[in-house]
Order: sequence, then structure tokens, then C-alpha cells
Amino acid sequence: MIIIDDVHKRYQTDHGHGPWVLKGISITIPTHLSVGIIGCNGAGKSTLLRLIGGTDTPSKGRIERRCRVSWPMNYGGGLQNNMTGRQNSKFLCRIHGLREHEIPERIASIQDFTEIGAAFDQPVKTYSSGMKSRLQFGLTLAFDFDVYISDEATSAGDAAFRNKAQAAFNDLADRASIIMTSHGEGTLTQFCQAGIWLHNGQAHWFDDVKDAFAAYKETLPKQRPLAKS
Amino acid sequence: MNDVKGYRSPLIITFTTWKALFLREAVARLTSRRNAWVWLLLEPALQISFMLVLMTQLHVRTVGGIDTVVWLVVGLVFANLFKRTATQSQHAISANKALYTYRQVKPVDTVLVRAALEGFLMVVIGLILVAGTSFVGYDFIPNQSWILFAAFLNIWLLALGLGLIASIGVLMIPELEKIIGFANGPIYLLSGVVIPISAIPEPFQHWLMYNPIVHSIESARKAMSSYYHTSPDLNLFYTTEVALFSVFIGLSLHSRFVARVYKK
Repeated sequence: MIIIDDVHKRYQTDHGHGPWVLKGISITIPTHLSVGIIGCNGAGKSTLLRLIGGTDTPSKGRIERRCRVSWPMNYGGGLQNNMTGRQNSKFLCRIHGLREHEIPERIASIQDFTEIGAAFDQPVKTYSSGMKSRLQFGLTLAFDFDVYISDEATSAGDAAFRNKAQAAFNDLADRASIIMTSHGEGTLTQFCQAGIWLHNGQAHWFDDVKDAFAAYKETLPKQRPLAKS
Repeated sequence: MNDVKGYRSPLIITFTTWKALFLREAVARLTSRRNAWVWLLLEPALQISFMLVLMTQLHVRTVGGIDTVVWLVVGLVFANLFKRTATQSQHAISANKALYTYRQVKPVDTVLVRAALEGFLMVVIGLILVAGTSFVGYDFIPNQSWILFAAFLNIWLLALGLGLIASIGVLMIPELEKIIGFANGPIYLLSGVVIPISAIPEPFQHWLMYNPIVHSIESARKAMSSYYHTSPDLNLFYTTEVALFSVFIGLSLHSRFVARVYKK
């Protein structure tokens, strides 16, 4: 269970406080329920995911994680460029409390999943965006979380990898849940049951993710044709 | 929250994170550039050799009653400890930016770990230099080893405190980086590292004694030999006071302004 209690967020800019991105969000996300977060660009989807994952702290309010929550997976985040794939993996094993003798086995499974071959021992700055995606995905899956947070994590990577990621995600759905954003309606409805629609800094909860999409589309300009997704 | 499977106490998480960061920083520090580990040792060794040649030419065999070699090794090891710890800590936050994705890692952790690594490295480098110079016949047995240790700890703590302040300071006021670079220039001259403090005339000597680095370095030299004469104002507790004060300010700045580090 993740309790989000009256969470406000604004960022610090070079000219003082920025505008409020989130204005008092209170939601309890139950365990074993996958949730899709929907909203237009700049609605605060990534901000909310970063707050749930504990990467950033709310300006006001509080978030309580009563289960094991992954870090937010997003494009290129969380990888130290001058470290190799192996060193990044080792670092993550350590901060997640693995004992030294457990690490080699875990790293082997990460290396296995990523399928990037010898590049695993090269600095991450030499990786292509697809290779980074593979590594990030392998890293998250290497640890047992109750909730995985994905911020468009599957968008990079080739077809083979996306299929593999899809299969891994489906496997996960049995033992863990996912909180995710995606601009693809198909991806969200496939993985998520419930939906959160972010609009004007407020969050609206829908038990069915399709209803969240319907509410979201209602606010879009009518005259323009909707993009197929 | 203790009923969560795999629950770890905050203290355990902090220690495992420090260990992970320490090992990561150590690998980066020792392998990031070609032969990086050689240069770590060579830099102070070359400084000592250069100053030694200079002072031998000037027929300075002893400084304040102790051998010039001992005087230089203590002074330059301490000065390097200060400079490296402060500089490395100052840049710790930006060097680890990607790792703040993980909620276990806080910016202050990276500063503390970098300072610890520099302290550890300088102990090793110092011991190698002492072993090397002892081998060619210089006496490095301290008279009061606990004062030497206290002086080392104090200058490290001072560097950590200033590093904590600078690390968050340069993020809030980027111009600060230029000022710090400027202030770093005359540090060897103003801290009695290469110019004996006792050779500086009053009232300037009295003014230099406001510099907390001087008290640590001179105390360390005095710990090597009871014959060493230095300024009568020498007081290691002054360094301790300034160090603890700066650590307090540094930690406060971190807890107050840490949110700025995470801005997108």
C-alpha cells in the first residue's frame, strides 16, 4: 500500500519558486493493483512518479510506502555515465542490501537479461539509448519489489527487447504491481486496472483505467482529430 | 512499517549506501584517468622534493629546530589532505547526480563518503612517504603521537565542513566556484606550509594565526618534536572549534537546501 497524503510539489527555479505542479493530492494505492497515470504533457506525471519512488520529496504533505517500491525507471535515469554496466549493477546490489557473496550471481542474471555482450564492461556513456534501456530494465527486474515504477521505460529499445520486456512485465504482474505512465493507450490498458488522471494539479482516481482515459479525452480540444494510439 | 518483507532499518540502509558509494568512489578515483593512483602519490612526493631542493640550496637544514624533511613532509601531507578533501567534497554532488534516482542515496552521503575516501587515501599516502623518508635515514617517530592524530583529524574535519558548505553553496551561487578557486591559490603561503610561521614578522604572524589550518599543521609539527618552536598563540582547539562550526553549518545548509539539487 502506498499512501499519498495531501502532496504538493513545486520546483525551485533560478528565479525563486516555480508554479505548483501538484496541488494537494491524496490517494491510497492498494497493493497488487496496477495503476496507469494519465495526463497531458506537463501535468505532473513524472513528478508524481518521482515522489512515489522517493527520488524527490514533496514540498508539502507526505508519502508513505508500506511495501517495497522500485526506483522510477525512466529514459537514461539512474545510470552513472563513467561507470561500466557491471559497476552500476554492483552499486545497486550493494545499496539494496545484498551481501557480497550474493552479488556475482545477481550480476550474472542482469548481464544475461540485458544481452549487450561485452559492452556490459564498458562505461555507460558509450551505450546507445536502446542499450541503456536494456540495462535499466535488467537492473529493476533483478530486485524483488512489490511495486515497480515505470516512466515510459519501454519506449526505447528494439522490437526483440520490447517483446522481452513485455514478457517480463507480464510475469511480474502475478507477484507485483506496476505504476506507470505511457502515451500509448494500448500499453496502459494492457498492464493497468486502475487509472489516475492528473489535471490542473489535481488527481482523479478511476477504478477502471478506460474511464480515466475517457475523462482525459473529454478535456482535449474537440476540433482536432485524436491521435491513434 | 517494520512488517514489510525485507525491511531494513534506516541506519543499516545508510551504512550499506556509504559502503557502496565508498567503493564506487574509490574505483573512480584510482582508475578514472591513466595511472591515476600513481599521480595521487606522486603529486605530494614531487612537491616535497621540489621544496626540499629549494631549501637545501638556501642552506635551510632545520626549521624551528626540526629537520626540514620532517617539517616539509608533515606540512605538505596535511596541506594536501585539506585541499583534496575540500575540493573532492565540493564537487561530490554534481559528480553523482545520476545516483539520486535511488532514494537510498542523498547528496550529503556523497560528500561525506568522498571526504572519508580522501582521508583514507592520505593516511596511506602519508605512511608511504614516511616509510620512504625513514628508509633513507630520517627520524619520523612522533613525540606525541596522539596530538599528531588529533591534528590530522581536525584538519580533515575542517576540510569536510568547508566542503559541505561549498558543495551546496556552488549550486545556489555558481559564482562561488570562482571565489573558492581564487582563495585556493595562496593557501600554501598563508598556512605556513612552505614558509615557517615563526619567520613571519609581527603583526602579520598574529594575523595568520586566525587561519585554522595553521594551528593544525603547526601542532602536528610540534607533535613530532618537543624542540620545535612555533608561534606562542598555537592552539589546536581553535581548529576544532572552527571545524565543528563549519560542519554544523554545512549539514544545516544540506538539510535546508537539498531540494535544489533535485531540480529537473
